Amino acid sequence: MAPSGGPRLSGLQKQVLSLYRGFLRAARLKSLEDRKKIESLVSAEFRRNAKQIDHKNFLHIEYLLRRGKKQLDQLKSPCTVGLSSINVTLPQTQHTRP
Amino acid sequence: MALRAALLRHVRVPVQTLTQTAHRHGHPFSLSTTILRFMSSHDDHLTKEEVIDRVLSVVKSFPKIDPSKVSPDVHFQNDLGLDSLDNVEIVMALEEEFKLEIPDKEADKIDSCNLAIEYIYNHPMAEI
Repeated sequence: MAPSGGPRLSGLQKQVLSLYRGFLRAARLKSLEDRKKIESLVSAEFRRNAKQIDHKNFLHIEYLLRRGKKQLDQLKSPCTVGLSSINVTLPQTQHTRP
Repeated sequence: MALRAALLRHVRVPVQTLTQTAHRHGHPFSLSTTILRFMSSHDDHLTKEEVIDRVLSVVKSFPKIDPSKVSPDVHFQNDLGLDSLDNVEIVMALEEEFKLEIPDKEADKIDSCNLAIEYIYNHPMAEI
């Protein structure tokens, strides 16, 4: 099965999409309410980064991928629900806070 | 006579185990139906029309999509103006609709309604 046209994905893009998929899969295992929160936060975070970060800044993208994978591992833990996962998925806001 | 009595006493034990094994047969029965499900052909499987209908209705219900633009031939990104993240979300929504898990390698390739329909129609575990 070959993609029917449209942009070809680079290896890095595939990794990003795979991470996004991982987050959405992890969110499915949470309560409906938490799931919605996680999904909207994760979606906003990915879209914000997609807009802000230079697509050729591979080092930074790779760094974000590594960080995202760690956050995903935390989110996968059954103990992580609701608010804790929100902090986990939005470290950017934590950094900017004094 | 003593021998017969002794024998009968022993016979009782195997008879008990026999009824037990007969009881246990109930389990493999349900198991075999799940195995059968694995090998099911398209006879008791989804028809192509059903797959098309359900794929289209999932795509139409996606918030960013104008339902009137959706047809079996549309390409998610070229025709519906979605990005690659939306594409991931749609494929995930289809996974849930058909109770499938689509591996990353396959999911990355599904970028149009047609490919989604083909993939799901050919998937042996797609749920009715």
